[in-house]
Amino acid sequence: MISLDFTLNERPYRIEAPAHWTVLDLLRDGLALNGTKFGCGEGVCGTCTVLLDGEPVRSCLVLASRLRGRTMITVEGLDRDGEPDRLQTAFARAGAVQCGFCTPGMLLSARALLVANPAPTEHDVRDALAGNLCRCTGYTKIIEAVLAAAGGR
Amino acid sequence: MRLRPFALAEPESVAEAVEILSRQEGDTRIIAGGTALVPTMRLGLVTPDRIVSLHRIPGLSEIRVHKGALEIGAMASLARLVRHGALRSGWPLLAQAAGRVATPAIRSTATLGGNLCYAEAASDPAPALLCLDSQVRVADSVGERVVPIAEFFTGFYETAIAPGEVLIGVKVPAAPPDARSGYVKFCPRSAEDKPLIGVAALLVLDASKRVGEIRIALGGAAPTPMRARGAEAAVRSQELSDHAIRAAADTAATEAEPLSDLMGSADYRREMIRVWVRRLLTALREDRPIA
Repeated sequence: MISLDFTLNERPYRIEAPAHWTVLDLLRDGLALNGTKFGCGEGVCGTCTVLLDGEPVRSCLVLASRLRGRTMITVEGLDRDGEPDRLQTAFARAGAVQCGFCTPGMLLSARALLVANPAPTEHDVRDALAGNLCRCTGYTKIIEAVLAAAGGR
Repeated sequence: MRLRPFALAEPESVAEAVEILSRQEGDTRIIAGGTALVPTMRLGLVTPDRIVSLHRIPGLSEIRVHKGALEIGAMASLARLVRHGALRSGWPLLAQAAGRVATPAIRSTATLGGNLCYAEAASDPAPALLCLDSQVRVADSVGERVVPIAEFFTGFYETAIAPGEVLIGVKVPAAPPDARSGYVKFCPRSAEDKPLIGVAALLVLDASKRVGEIRIALGGAAPTPMRARGAEAAVRSQELSDHAIRAAADTAATEAEPLSDLMGSADYRREMIRVWVRRLLTALREDRPIA
């Protein structure tokens, strides 16, 4: 077991975890935060994306030991007092959610984009979401949603 | 689906890391970002008993310019290479190639050291580093040695790193003044794939518009990333005419030793090397970005 101190969704955590766990194992099995999905397990599908110190990472590829001293945001940390944030609102309004499995990863990749680039072009959005796969073929509405959130609509 | 349990070592110095490696206890693997090792473990291709993580070693993530050369720690992420101001201005070829690896959420995690040690033949950064005559710094329990990048890749997913050694950094000398450079990555399917083939080139035209300096390197063109030295010789000291460029492209296609895999056959790779060497050299001649 290894002991870990980190900040998750603005709350401090101190927990023990098996050394071979990934960040995704820790979230889902250690903390019962099941918003972050296990898709491919190989870093390809993007649904396990979380933000680590503001950067999008694939939580299925990162060993839990890398969390020490760092700050993580998952889909559970996006809302403000139960109110959806502007990206979540934009996704709902645009109909960017169909089955919903890809949505957590889409939201966090989009959030990282908007923090780094508050006024992205459609090309920027496509680049940022490359590697977040949607098998409902919903890309158009997802891109519209991110652009709408960026435009404050 | 969990990873098979392993013992995790998190050394706090290079000396401690190589001491752990020197014990040779079972199958020991080094982890940097993990974007290559973890999928390889999930596929069951490697089943390490022990993993040595380099993330706690101070200084290994550093990127700095020292005496005109770029020094990149093994643990520097590809995303940091792309964002780094000095790298973008002084070594744009490397920034460009690093920015073409996979997707943002991989580049944030993947490291330059890990990319080199995985020794993927279709690496994006490797052809850039080959064109820039980079040097790889390797440490073991005795000390440190420097391996020229041209001697670093020794075979299919094989490198010059011996058991007990660890890659600690990469040194990239200053590019020649007035050098033009570019990297193209050809992906028949989606942009986040590794390339079917990649081409990096660095060109300096002399005062009479002849080729003063030319370096061409290929990814996905052989069992290892490679310099296309025949193609370079085909245009060196020449006027960079369409004819000369075709000769270089033909030579590159001939000297490549591509493998066939699910992405494409060896023949297809050769043809695409011919096409993309020609397009890249033409774009560099005209000093315009390649579309």
